[in-house]
Amino acid sequence: MNELPQQLVNGLLLGSMYGLVAIGYTMVYGIIQLINFAHGEIFMVGGFGALTVYLYVLPDGTSMWVALPLMLLAGILVSVLVAVGAERFAYRPLRGAPRLAPLITAIGLSLALQQAVWAWYPGGEDSLNFPQIEGGPFEIGSVTIQTGDIFLFVVAPLSMAVLAWFVMRTRTGRGMQATAQDPDTAKLMGINTDRIIVIAFALGAVFAAVGAVAYGLKYGQVQFRMGFILGLKAFTAAVLGGIGNIYGAMLGGLVLGVAEALSTAYIADIPGMAQFGSQSWANVWAFVLLILVLLFRPQGLLGERVADRA
Amino acid sequence: MTTQTTAATTPDTPTAEAPRGLVGLPESTGRALATAGGVLSVISTFLAWTWTAEFPGDLTVYGYPGGLQVLVLVGGALTALFGLASYGIKGLRWLVPAGADSALKLAALGTFVTAWYTVIAISVQLGGVVNLEPGGFVVAAATLLTLLGALALPFERPEPDPFDPDDTGWEQFRHKARHQAAVIKAAFATGPVKAPARKLPGFAEILVIVAAMAIGLLVFTYGIGTEYDELFIGFLITAGFGFAALFKAGLISRLSVITGKHRNVTLIGAFVAAAAFPFTQSDDQYATIGVYILIFATVALGLNIVVGLAGLLDLGYVAFLGVGAYAAAMVSGSPSSPFDFQVPFWASALIGAAVAMVFGVIIGAPTLRLRGDYLAIVTLGFGEIFRIAVLNMDGTSGPDITNGSNGISSIPNLNILGFDFGQEHTIAGFTIARFANYFLLMLLITLVVVVVFRRSSDSRIGRAWVAIREDETAALAMGINGFRVKLIAFALGATLAGLAGTVQAHVTYTVTPEQYQFAHVVPPNSAFLLAAVVLGGMGTISGPLVGASLLYLIPAKLQFLGDYQLFAFGLALVLLMRYRPEGLIPNRRRQLEFHEETEAPTVLSKAGA
Repeated sequence: MNELPQQLVNGLLLGSMYGLVAIGYTMVYGIIQLINFAHGEIFMVGGFGALTVYLYVLPDGTSMWVALPLMLLAGILVSVLVAVGAERFAYRPLRGAPRLAPLITAIGLSLALQQAVWAWYPGGEDSLNFPQIEGGPFEIGSVTIQTGDIFLFVVAPLSMAVLAWFVMRTRTGRGMQATAQDPDTAKLMGINTDRIIVIAFALGAVFAAVGAVAYGLKYGQVQFRMGFILGLKAFTAAVLGGIGNIYGAMLGGLVLGVAEALSTAYIADIPGMAQFGSQSWANVWAFVLLILVLLFRPQGLLGERVADRA
Repeated sequence: MTTQTTAATTPDTPTAEAPRGLVGLPESTGRALATAGGVLSVISTFLAWTWTAEFPGDLTVYGYPGGLQVLVLVGGALTALFGLASYGIKGLRWLVPAGADSALKLAALGTFVTAWYTVIAISVQLGGVVNLEPGGFVVAAATLLTLLGALALPFERPEPDPFDPDDTGWEQFRHKARHQAAVIKAAFATGPVKAPARKLPGFAEILVIVAAMAIGLLVFTYGIGTEYDELFIGFLITAGFGFAALFKAGLISRLSVITGKHRNVTLIGAFVAAAAFPFTQSDDQYATIGVYILIFATVALGLNIVVGLAGLLDLGYVAFLGVGAYAAAMVSGSPSSPFDFQVPFWASALIGAAVAMVFGVIIGAPTLRLRGDYLAIVTLGFGEIFRIAVLNMDGTSGPDITNGSNGISSIPNLNILGFDFGQEHTIAGFTIARFANYFLLMLLITLVVVVVFRRSSDSRIGRAWVAIREDETAALAMGINGFRVKLIAFALGATLAGLAGTVQAHVTYTVTPEQYQFAHVVPPNSAFLLAAVVLGGMGTISGPLVGASLLYLIPAKLQFLGDYQLFAFGLALVLLMRYRPEGLIPNRRRQLEFHEETEAPTVLSKAGA
């Protein structure tokens, strides 16, 4: 059982990636009660934005230590542009429409974005290789950390800290909290709620892009469909932590990641379940976890608000 | 309220100019031009449009319209009829209960677009205008004149809307553009219904329904039978504008009053018309398309109970179809099924429906207690998990149940009471082959779903669904057991999908995990199903049927869309939600809900009138 620390670390790394993407779901949901299904695709285009810089802008053989910040920047830029554009042209006109309308819009948007990358990104029909950081894996005690995960190791806590500072300490952040609590009163208090909503979308996109770069480094490839399953899991993480709560999103991500890592490691050891421990079943277990959470604690781990808000 | 006061004052305020059309011609000239142009368009379709048969449809023959010419012929005839009716000719007044002018404009526009599309397609494909025969020029001129004439007809312009002089140039531009759009919209707006509906005897009303069904069958059969891209596009243009023209003429609403009065007759009529479809076909090719459309439409209709009536967004609906299909496939006696036995169809249909229902309850019970959004994501997850689980239960990475990515293949044909669905049968001189057999069986399933939909939506529980959809909190306060009612809707939807799946398994021979993805180029899949419901109109019966037919035929017929089909589809969904969220055939109540500000006053004035 000495692989337990290793599995925990793997799970935490995976989970912090889920958490980064989950932030986008939870923030948008907290403010306008919309599940932005297209968020998974905003994550995906971030990955492709970063890859584009590496492949087509930077000269061949640029060191990853130089390239990575630029790639990150480009990924963030692309994600934010897409997210803000989606908000402006697809979601905003539907504010006040029945709830089904923006959800269907989100589905359409998500399909269109996926297919746009598939059809027009050079080589986008297949998985594209994502550049890797040089250097071998690191050993800390009995735990091995892959080079690609170092990025996640550093950036995920950092992003979380920045976000917490932004939401808690800045004027805009407090405006976001106010809008989430009561949009009408917030408006009366002089908060430009339209701007706040755009900022929520943009912030979510920033973290999604960070998550996408982390994904590329971790798995070594990006693909036009990568946002679908990951978006689903990130949403699960957001629900797990209590949707609308940004700390909850991160915590939910970590719990989900650990659960997934442990499921691949240990479920096969349970008698009679030998075949259910593989990676492909991990998605199923994540989903079962979502159902269980909804069954027993629908408000999530950190959620105080009742799930059914009138 | 505001609209009412303006409506009352408008006649009193002296207007500076008499109402005029979009084109500056006198009204009488315009009307004559439009009518004559319509007749001329009809005549021109009997001429040759091009010299070579290289352009599909053979438009080279004098005296025998073919291909796109037929469509122009229909459009021209419709235009001419509306033109004559606009003169108030006695025998034609029934055609235009709501005034002929806007119908005439739309018919003229439709004919114009179809004709010019054809002429341009000929010129582009064959390389130049020289390839047109005189007939091509005649039809182009005739339809253009018709359109100009029709557009010269006067209409009631919206109030001029002066802009704020402080606005920036861009804002002024947008303001003007919006006003222009309002003017153009008004040009095609229909007037108030003038003549009250004349009482028809009961048998005449039924005859009207039968005629409408026959026309519907004719249009549908023609659409399925279109053999090349150009013809299908022309068909869509003509059918779209033709339907809009009939709608503006007030015929559609009159028809819906009649069908509303005789709902059972309508249902039976539609059923008979659909059942007649395979008998109009000489081979099985289009029956194949027909049966796939029918499967798609039936499942969409089932989804409409869940989404349209109860307002629950189910994004993994195709998984229930898959559950039913897999269940039926496993007990069908297929060699790749793990179970080595075969049950009769009635049993496998029950098994498929029951298993789907069990899954529906398992998924629905925990999620339906929560806000609707959770259901959306859980069903989306379930759809994906179903696919993954089925893919992995192949004996190596999971238990050996579903045969993995190869799926369960060689599903035997059905044999009900000695009627072998795989064989050709001759019924009353008509030969119907395998897919036609399944078409008829599937039609029965569709009928079941339609009846379930109708009966449940009219029942206590259906009203409870609508109440929950409109305002859950208020509905709960009225004593509706929200969770139970929603669970019934969800489980019922799942059951119906499972039932459809049992037939689908036999039609397709093979069930594979790839058939049941969230989004895929071949319908049915969850995204297309949802789109069919939304495009057609949520909460109606005919809506999803029309939506599914269109969504199946458009990708199947327009091969050039090819790889961009899903992209166009996603974008179309976004635009649809933006500009016509109530769908093609809207449920009245839903339409009001989506257009609260704009539509409500007209209803007020209608109620006042």
